[in-house]
This record gives sequence, structure tokens and C-alpha cells, in this order.
Amino acid sequence: MKKRNRDKVWWRYLVASIALIFSLMPVIWVIGAAFGPAGLTTQSVIPHVFVLDNFKVLFTDENVPFLKWYRNSLIVCTSAAILQVSIATFAAYAFSRFRFKGRRVSLVGLLVLQMFPQLLSIVAIYILMYKVHLVFPAIGTGSAIGLILVYLGGAMGYNTYLLKGFFDTIPKELDEAAKVDGATAGQTFTKIILPLATPMLAVVMLLSFIGLLNDFVLASLFLQTTDKYTLAVGLQAFISGQYEQQWGPFAAGALLTALPVIILFQFLQRYIVEGLSAGSVKG
Amino acid sequence: MNLKSITMRLLFLSAVNATSLWAAYTLFTIENWAPLIILLFATFLIDFIYFSPRTNASKWLIPGTIFLIIFQIYPVMYTAVTAFTNYSTGHSVSREEAIDGLLKQNVEPVENGDQYSFIAIHLGERKALFLTPANGGDSVIGDEKGVKSSNNSAIPDGWVQFSNEELKTPDIQKWLTALQIPLANGNFLQADSFTTAIENRSLIKFDAEKNQLIDVASGESLKEKGGNFYYLDGTRMEPGWKIWVGFTNFTDVVSNERIRGPFFRVLIWTFAYAILSVLTTFILGLTLALTLNNSRVKGQRVWRSLLIIPYAIPGFLSILVWAGLLNDDYGLMNRALGTHIPWLFDATWAKVSTLLVNLWLGFPYMFLVSTGALQSIPAELSEAAQMDGASNKVVFSRIKLPLLLVTMAPLLIGSFAYNFNNFGGIYLLTGGGPAQNDSDVAGATDILISYTYKLAFSSGKGAQYGLATAISIIIFFIVASVSALSFKRTKALENLN
Repeated sequence: MKKRNRDKVWWRYLVASIALIFSLMPVIWVIGAAFGPAGLTTQSVIPHVFVLDNFKVLFTDENVPFLKWYRNSLIVCTSAAILQVSIATFAAYAFSRFRFKGRRVSLVGLLVLQMFPQLLSIVAIYILMYKVHLVFPAIGTGSAIGLILVYLGGAMGYNTYLLKGFFDTIPKELDEAAKVDGATAGQTFTKIILPLATPMLAVVMLLSFIGLLNDFVLASLFLQTTDKYTLAVGLQAFISGQYEQQWGPFAAGALLTALPVIILFQFLQRYIVEGLSAGSVKG
Repeated sequence: MNLKSITMRLLFLSAVNATSLWAAYTLFTIENWAPLIILLFATFLIDFIYFSPRTNASKWLIPGTIFLIIFQIYPVMYTAVTAFTNYSTGHSVSREEAIDGLLKQNVEPVENGDQYSFIAIHLGERKALFLTPANGGDSVIGDEKGVKSSNNSAIPDGWVQFSNEELKTPDIQKWLTALQIPLANGNFLQADSFTTAIENRSLIKFDAEKNQLIDVASGESLKEKGGNFYYLDGTRMEPGWKIWVGFTNFTDVVSNERIRGPFFRVLIWTFAYAILSVLTTFILGLTLALTLNNSRVKGQRVWRSLLIIPYAIPGFLSILVWAGLLNDDYGLMNRALGTHIPWLFDATWAKVSTLLVNLWLGFPYMFLVSTGALQSIPAELSEAAQMDGASNKVVFSRIKLPLLLVTMAPLLIGSFAYNFNNFGGIYLLTGGGPAQNDSDVAGATDILISYTYKLAFSSGKGAQYGLATAISIIIFFIVASVSALSFKRTKALENLN
């Protein structure tokens, strides 16, 4: 009986190992390319030499203001993610705790709107924000604030659903108890709901952040000077056209971009699993 | 309500009102009325909602709703309306603007007409040309109103000559090319270089009464059809203008030979891509979840942490990295396998590649949610079945899998909808390529959304924005009906309470 068990576990490790090779292969290659010498053709999986040339290019080459891109991405994505999640949290609270006219219609409407391919509506957004730019240059096209504002349009979507699903799992009795003690809706929200939802909010914030980091269509439309680029726009422009030569620095940049996200992900892993399934279980 | 929250609310509302008033003032000074009215109305609504003791839910919904209306609902409406126009390169302006442009273009030099050399000058904001006749004579000053004789042959007092650098700026160049200086005889002077101007006459003129363009030489009206004027010999005049075309863009998709072929090819591949992406990621994710979700597997946490790394890497980076990995000349994939497979340059292999990369990107998500779903199935159920003598296989296929599918169904539908419009997954990897014979826009791996993107922004023939938005609407109906059907079957929306 014992032997049979061990046989069974053996194949589990095998399957997992194959999957692991598949999932880590590109990552290992990027690490190898980042620390190897410049140029792609000479590259093997594990570099023969360990050099920091590629990182030096990122930090010293004036044509590649990588640090600026990094900073721009941090500022734009962090502020947009915080604002997005705040807005989504307010809306989710209303949908979870209040019963009002048009509630169901709004919820279904939000869902339907998400199904419209938004890619082409960027033309309308661009024309609109260009007109805004002519009157208020600070918040129109060409400005990071304008880009953040546009990102906020996406706050009432998937995130609202996810958070509503989570708020629904927090017992209403807690609210009612607080109400009896004389708390307003605002106090119930800040003193009871928010503390319970903190891990979930962190997850949604992280997922929003990654989503925003990924955006290159809107960002490239709004930020058209090299100094203002975000990482997605910068790294994209950086390797297009001269892929072979720029591969090493690109890999180094990719590594520096992905690493913090991967680390955060590992810390929040447990909550991410809970969050992703909470969204589904409670519709 | 306590003092603190009242103070906070007042502070917040004062900030909103102050900003809004400042913006309203700016709009007022430039006489931009429509945005001004919307702004004032919105501000009033916000004040009303936050001061009223009764508008409870709206207080929480208003911030999101404002951004939703401006940046999602309005753009979507705009897009939807555009689908019923012929908006495209050459049909992007209004009729008046098009006529303006045509009048400026359709001119010819007058034989033995006046010739001048000029100096571009300005007095503050006023711009003009200081013109000296080529065959001698008195200099004149000309602008869009006409020519004025100048008292002497020098630039008049106060006027300043534009420097060469200033002449090269877009604003000045635009002004200079558009400038027509009317002459007493009905012709006009126009710059034909940076320093010389010649006498031109119009070939066509606009008859305001008939609202028609007239050919000056023959006096006949020019034919107007489908947002374009036509010369008397039948050639089309460019630019045209934006007009309503009803359902033409939609019917073109089924009836226009040039569009129908590629459209249906792309449509079929879009379905295949979305369905196969969901299936492959789900099967791999579920397999891994079943494999690792077992108490005898050691280090589950470590396995999981490593396996979800692809999910944590920003997608745009991963896809660009994969594009390098799959490069047929120097990519790692071919060197590791010792092959020379054209991963991205052969129609079939490129399709395989997009699915492979999407599997890599998507399986960790399916792995995570399957693990979650598996763990939420009560152990008693499987134990009870096992007590009744059911084999592991039966427990899985009759108990675990059905329960799992109930939980996962909405996520699988979501994943389908996502992949149906997975622009980045295609565009960043293959750019929709390789090119196909039947279309100069749609490549072999193009899905509908990347096809529309290319139609709208980057096709060789110029932007076909009207057609692209029509296809966007078709995409919307496909995704919405697939979702509606599935939600109906899974009854997910009925639990929406």
C-alpha cells in the first residue's frame, strides 16, 4: 500500500516539473540575456560571462531614459490604481449595501458595457482630450494627468464586480449592529467594511496596477515625447526596429520592470487566489 | 453626522466648486458654450447630491459614474454613431470644410499674370506679405483681405520680417500655403515658394444659392455623390466629406467581395483562437491543480509560487520576450530544438505560436482559480462517494468536475470574452501576420479586434474608420450574445442580488 502511494506521487512531481520548465524557460532566458554581453546572436541560455553592460546602457545612455520611464510608470500607474480602486470600492459598497431604483439595471449595464471592444473608442477619447488640451493643457492629451483621468473611466468595471462580490460575503449584521450604535453609512464603511476588505483591496490594487502597466495603446497616444514615456511605451519603442542590437538592454529593463511585481505577487498570493474565486462564486 | 465629517464634506465640495468655477470662467472667456453648460449642470448635480440628506447610494456612485460617462459611455456612443458614416481618410471633414479645401486646391496660374517676390512680415498678430512686382513697379502689402499700396519700397513702420526659423514653423507654413490674396480682377495672388508669389485663378466656384460647386469655364454644376464631388470628366475630387451612409458598412461586410472574404476568415480564426485559448489554458491549469492539490505532494506553496510567475509578469513584456524566443533565425526556441521552424512567418506555425504564447500567459490564472475551486468542494462529498465504492475516476468525473464547472463557468465565459478581443496577444506577437493573399489588411493570425484596429489606423489604403467601427459593433453583438446565452444556461445573473 505504501509503495503504491509513492508511485502515485512520483508522476505528480514529473508533471509539475514539465510545467515548471515551460513557465520558467522565458524567464531564465531573460535573466541570461540581461546579465550576458550585448547582442542576441551570441546569446546562450546561461551566459558564459556575467556582466552588467546591459544595465549600464539603461542607466547611462541618454537616448534611453529608462529611469524616467520607470518613474513615470510608477507615478501614473500607482496614482491611477489607487484612484481606480477607491472609486470602485465606493461603487461596490453602494451596490452591495443599498437597495435603490435602477440598481440591477446598472449592474447589468456595467457588464454589457465591458463587452464593447473599447479599442476603437480611443479615437473618440483622443479627439475629446485633444479639445480639452486646447483649453486646459494640463489635463488634455500630452499630459500624464490627462492619461490618469482617462484610466479612471475604467474604474467602474471588473473591479467593481469583484469588490461587490467580496462585500456581499461580509455579514450585513455587522453593518446593522453599527447602525444601532449610531454610525453613519460613511462610518460603517471606514470602520467596518474597509478593515475587513484590506487584503482584497490590496489584491485588486495590484491587479489594476499590472493592468495599467500593460497599457501601451492609450499611453503611446497621450505621451509622445521620450521623456514622458511609460515603461510599456518606452520598452516597446526601444526594441521595435532594432530588435537584435537592443535585446540585452531590453532584457535588463524587462527584468527590472517585472521583478517588483513578481515579489508583490508572491506576498499577496494567498489573497489573490481567494479574490479570484470570490469574484466567481458570488457572481 | 458629526462635526468632522461635515467639515470634510464642506472642504471637499468647496474644492470641487472652486475648480469647476475656474474652469467655467475659462470656458466663458473663450465662449465655448456647450461644455460650459454641461460643466455647470454637473457641478450643480454634485452639490445637490452631496448636500441632500436623502440621496444615499448616489453619493457613493457619483465619482465612478462621472468618469464612466466621459471616458466610456460617450466614446462608445461616438464609435457606434460613426459606424453609420463613411468616416475614413478622405472623408474626415464636414462638407463646408471639404468645399473650402477644394476651392483652394483647384486653381491654375494665369497666363502672363502678375509675378511678385515677397517678404513675409507681421505686426503683432497680423500677418501679411510685402510684395514687389517682378517686372518692377511699386511694392504692395497683401493679406487675406486684399492688396494695399505701400507708400515706398521699404517695409512699413512697425512691421517686422519673419526670420527663416519662424518661416519653418508649422503655424506659419500653414498660413502661407493657405493664403490667397484677392485681386481687383477676381483672381488672386498665392505664394508658390518661400519668396515668390504668382497670380492664380479659380477653376471652380461655390454657388451659395444652389449650394453647389460650379465649373468656372463651362458654368456647369459639378456632380455630387456619396460625400464627394466629381469633375466633369467623372474623376473624383479629393477630399470628400463625412456623410451618413446608413447600414452600408454593415452590409458591406456580407456583400462586398473584397471585405467579405477576409472578414469571414478572420471571424472563424477569432472563434478558434478564443475557444482553443480557453480550452488549453483550462486543461493545463486544471491538470496542474489536480496534480498538486494533494496532501502527499511536498512544497505545494513553492510549486505554486513558481508556477504563477508568468501571471505576475506584465503581459506586454512577456509577449515581446516570446517574439524574440520564437524568432526563426536567432530565437532560442529553434536553437534549443535544433530546428528551423518559421514560428512567426508561416501561417499555420504563427497560429500555433499565438496559442502557445497565450497558453503560457493564461494557464497560471486557470491553475489558481481551479485550485481555489477544488479546495472549496467539501471533502465529505468525495469521501461519501468513495465509501459507496466509487473509484477515483468516478469521483472526479461525477462529483468534482461538475461542481468545478459550476464555479468556473462564469470565469471561462469571461476568459472567452477576453481572448475574443485579446488585441495584445496577437498584435504584439505577430502583428496579425504573416500577410495573406486575399487581403492587404487582414493577416493570417489577425483576430477581429486586431483586424479592425488595422482597418482604422494602419492599413495601407488609409484609415477606414467607419467600416472599422461597424465591425466593432458586430464584435460587441457576438461577445454579448455568447455571454448572454452562457449566463442564461449557468443562471449566474439570477444570483445577482
